Amino acid sequence: MLRTLGRVRLLPLDHPGTADHRSPGRFLWWLARGQSKTLAGGMFFGIVWMSAQAVMPAVIGRAIDRGVADKDGTALMQLAGLMLLIGLVQAASGIIRHRFAVTNWLIAAYRTVQLVARHTVHLGGALPRKVSTGEVVAIGTSDISHLGQVMDVSARFAGAVVSFFLVAAILLQTSVTLGLVVLLGVPLLMLLVGPLLSPLQTRSARQRQLMGELSNTATDIVGGLRVLRGIGGEQVFHDRYRRESQTTRRAGVQVAKIQSLLDALQVFLPGLFVVVIVWLGARYAVSGRITPGELVAFYGYSAFLMIPLRTATEFANKVIRARVSARRVCKVLSLTPDVTEPLDPAAAPAPLAELRDARSGLRVRSGTITALVSEQPDDTADLADRLGLCAAEVDDDVTLGGVPLTQLPRADVRRRIVVSDTSAALFSGRLADRLDVTGRARTTGDLERALFTASSDDIMDALPDGLDTVVTERGRSFSGGQRQRLVLARVLTVDPEILVLVEPTSAVDAHTEARIASRLRAHRSGRTTLVATSSPLMLDAVDEVAFLEGGVVVATGTHRELLDTHARYRAVVTRETELVPAGGDA
Amino acid sequence: MSTTLPIAGPGAMRAYVGVLVRRHPRLVWGALALHVLAALAGLAAPRLLGGLVESVENGTTTDHVDSIIGLLALFLILQTVVTRYARYVSQVLGEQVLAELREDFVGNALALPVGVVESAGSGDLLTRTSRDVEQLGWSVRWALPEWTIAVITAILTFAAALSVGWWVGLPCLLGIPPLVVGLRWYLARAKDGYLRESASYSAINASLTETVEGARSVEALGLGQQRIEAIDDDIRGSYTAERYTLWLRTVFFPSMELSYLIPTVATLLFGGYLYTQGQVSLGDVTTAVLYVQMLIDPVDRIVSILDELQMGAASLSRLLGVAQVPDDRTATGEVPDGEAIDAHDVRFSYVEGRDVLHGVDLSVGVGERIAMVGPSGAGKSTLGRLLAGIHPPRTGAVTVGGVGLVDLPLQDLRGHVALVTQEHHVFVGTLRENLALAAPPGATDDDIRASLDAVDALDWVDGLPEGLETVVGSGGRAVTAAQAQQIALARLVLADPHTLVLDEATSLIDPRAARHLERSLAAVLEGRTVIAIAHRLFSAHDADRVAVVEDGVIAELGSHDELVAAGGSYAALWDSWNGGR
Repeated sequence: MLRTLGRVRLLPLDHPGTADHRSPGRFLWWLARGQSKTLAGGMFFGIVWMSAQAVMPAVIGRAIDRGVADKDGTALMQLAGLMLLIGLVQAASGIIRHRFAVTNWLIAAYRTVQLVARHTVHLGGALPRKVSTGEVVAIGTSDISHLGQVMDVSARFAGAVVSFFLVAAILLQTSVTLGLVVLLGVPLLMLLVGPLLSPLQTRSARQRQLMGELSNTATDIVGGLRVLRGIGGEQVFHDRYRRESQTTRRAGVQVAKIQSLLDALQVFLPGLFVVVIVWLGARYAVSGRITPGELVAFYGYSAFLMIPLRTATEFANKVIRARVSARRVCKVLSLTPDVTEPLDPAAAPAPLAELRDARSGLRVRSGTITALVSEQPDDTADLADRLGLCAAEVDDDVTLGGVPLTQLPRADVRRRIVVSDTSAALFSGRLADRLDVTGRARTTGDLERALFTASSDDIMDALPDGLDTVVTERGRSFSGGQRQRLVLARVLTVDPEILVLVEPTSAVDAHTEARIASRLRAHRSGRTTLVATSSPLMLDAVDEVAFLEGGVVVATGTHRELLDTHARYRAVVTRETELVPAGGDA
Repeated sequence: MSTTLPIAGPGAMRAYVGVLVRRHPRLVWGALALHVLAALAGLAAPRLLGGLVESVENGTTTDHVDSIIGLLALFLILQTVVTRYARYVSQVLGEQVLAELREDFVGNALALPVGVVESAGSGDLLTRTSRDVEQLGWSVRWALPEWTIAVITAILTFAAALSVGWWVGLPCLLGIPPLVVGLRWYLARAKDGYLRESASYSAINASLTETVEGARSVEALGLGQQRIEAIDDDIRGSYTAERYTLWLRTVFFPSMELSYLIPTVATLLFGGYLYTQGQVSLGDVTTAVLYVQMLIDPVDRIVSILDELQMGAASLSRLLGVAQVPDDRTATGEVPDGEAIDAHDVRFSYVEGRDVLHGVDLSVGVGERIAMVGPSGAGKSTLGRLLAGIHPPRTGAVTVGGVGLVDLPLQDLRGHVALVTQEHHVFVGTLRENLALAAPPGATDDDIRASLDAVDALDWVDGLPEGLETVVGSGGRAVTAAQAQQIALARLVLADPHTLVLDEATSLIDPRAARHLERSLAAVLEGRTVIAIAHRLFSAHDADRVAVVEDGVIAELGSHDELVAAGGSYAALWDSWNGGR
């Protein structure tokens, strides 16, 4: 059986499959079916393991009767040997069951992550518009463990059910009364604890909520520590934290009041069960119906039965939680992208086809660098999105060589037109891998060329490991300006036919911006480039500028022509954008 | 550039725990006493059962049986009641201690030296704030009490077993070797294994988060396959970590099972032998076997909670470590004479032996506007921080009115100079709270409103249904980037320093928002000395003097016109910017 485990050694799965996400129940069933072999293995060993525990009291009882009371040394040795054997079976099946259970946990959890990751990629830019990132991230932080747990507990639950009936059957053979006490008593105990659970859950939920808020407050304080240490207010915030902390503590005390009652009941109810069974057993023993050893065995059974009882409760709780988590996963998996594939794709336009937008009247001449300037920067950003089929709204106004983008296969559009906006993210991992997304630029020297164009030499010089440096999450180890240049270098290595850059140098100092502007032109020669910007340094370096007002192109020409001829253009690009006052004659 | 925060040693931790215990003597001893009592009451059952078996064997009446069962029920009730209070008191204690721990931690974080706050980055501190506080909460609330109860129960059960007869100790001894060997082997590896395991889940989550947040970039650049592979790689790493800990348990768990099994079997065998020799009664054998079996549960809990406690201790050491950062300034009590800021022969390094500033001199006149320009990494920001008194210079001095900035108490320093950075944190709370933190004591709503008016923000604040009472920040009413910046600026108006150091204060906001802020900022800067680290050259044009920082020194210094006339690097840049006109 350990061999079986050996075979599922290769996690993650190559393909997580296509999930049935019509309902939480179906999703859980789909997950379970996919791992039915390891689930069955876990259940089998769970049954062996718990049954071994269940029969142990019988063996001890018999050993006390035959071995000890009868003073039969051979019988004692034999029964002790049997105990040892059952103990070993229990230990062995216990660990194998555990291994299966962990594997079951992992398959369910990993598979869900894979599904969500693949679907996230499939949704692409539409994802943030349809669901908050927090909801997707919560799947990774908490839901996968709930889904895993329900698979994990199944092995023990199977054992619990079988061992419960096993013990009931043993007792029924001795006495119908005893058997019935067990068969009815154990479920009754479950029901008795139930009413207490509900107020406990209410109070715990409140405590958890307060703890979450408290943690947020602490995170908030630490996140704004620069402000607090720089300007003041430490005492105010410490006092506030202390107040919230005390509220949380009091909520904890409220939980403790009920929790301790429940803990006491966990002692009392099983204890009562033991008392009843021992009392019945002792009376049988006095009347000679059972032996003293059997009495000891009864005591053992009544103590053992608490294990299946707890397991059953645990199983019920975990199924409830898993359903909630499955619902969240289903919600994400059932989202669909905004842009649908055309049923009947048009023929691909020839290379260097002209990109046009009927709504704004923009024409991007092939092979040139064109700048987009607008008095409302939002307009240029929206236009950039539409040009790359990245906007939520899908329309037929944007055409490439006369063919609306919506009639071309989505993959073709993505390959030919790349939009890099201000929010572009740098991913973690080895820098070279993260910059060279095609995997080819390293060998051709294109990566070095892109880094040069993005004026990133100083960033590279400062990295002891150069391109082998590991980028931390979201590129946080780089400053805003550094990140922007690296993101620019990355998109340059892709070298698409049409590149749309939105404010590519907004966080870069003037020296560097001037260098990038002049190098960009050489880098993109023969390709089409569109830059949404209002920086004179960049505008001075492009072939043509299109000036937008109210979302419509009202003037085109070179930067200098427009400066000379168009008053409103001049007003927009020479408007001060740095927070330093005019007329500093103080 | 980033420094990591220290971690407390075992000595400091013991001292701190000692203080906590001494602070709550009644709760601590009360909880211990109650748990001892509860455990004692729980030990009655095997004794009574043993007696029952003995009397059944020797012949007895139902009345006797009933009275013993009555006694059993009585002890059960006693155990139930005492358990209720024992658990309650220890949970109250746990909540109390936990509250003190986290409040002390936040207090210590709020007292971190400004230089450390500026250069350490918030990552490490944030991890301690969220993960370590949570881990410790789990340990203090659950692991520590459970473990203590298990230890008490185990000790008392063993004592009860010995009270049946000294011979019961021998079979128990047989269980110790596999227990100790297994445990030592396991604990030596478990902590690292589980840390690696939890780190592997953080990696999966980080990758998933990145993919979700960067979904747009993923699509635009066709990174889909790469992201899927990255996450699959993380899963592979996680599986490796899981397999390691699973292997640890595969060895450890059976060794534990063995150490529980052996004593039970041995007690039966040994007891049976002694019974045949007539040295012990049947009741003794029964009681002994039951006690030895009863030992299994607490011992198992002691063992399995140990690694949880290890983690809790590690978290505690990280939380206490924050208190061990030495302050980077001592107030000398000197009082500045005037408001002029001077830097003289300033050198500075973040890392020993690698100066980033190489002897900078700069005299800033009162009310002067200085723009600092220069390529990234030239040392502009560092110089800005030194001019704001965030870090002490390695050599040389930065003074205000002749007194070193780092010789001033922090509270006074804030009245002289403030650093304004790209970050503009809006705290969770009302707008009033967000502003009042910067106000001197006794500030009124009128002062706060005046500050909002000064930065041109009063209109939108008054436009909110709840005005200053509006809750903002994460989870509250969303404010735009420009509004957040206005809040930050209004704080400056309230704090009222005579000098401001602006470090690329707007470079990270959307360029679209910057324009709305011009007037707001102009109002804040009115009548103050300003040192601005600038991106856009227009600011430089309008400043009184421009300082070009290159390679850790001020390479050019003078008015805009002077520098353009000098024909240096600034002039070349200006020419390009200005379209050659």
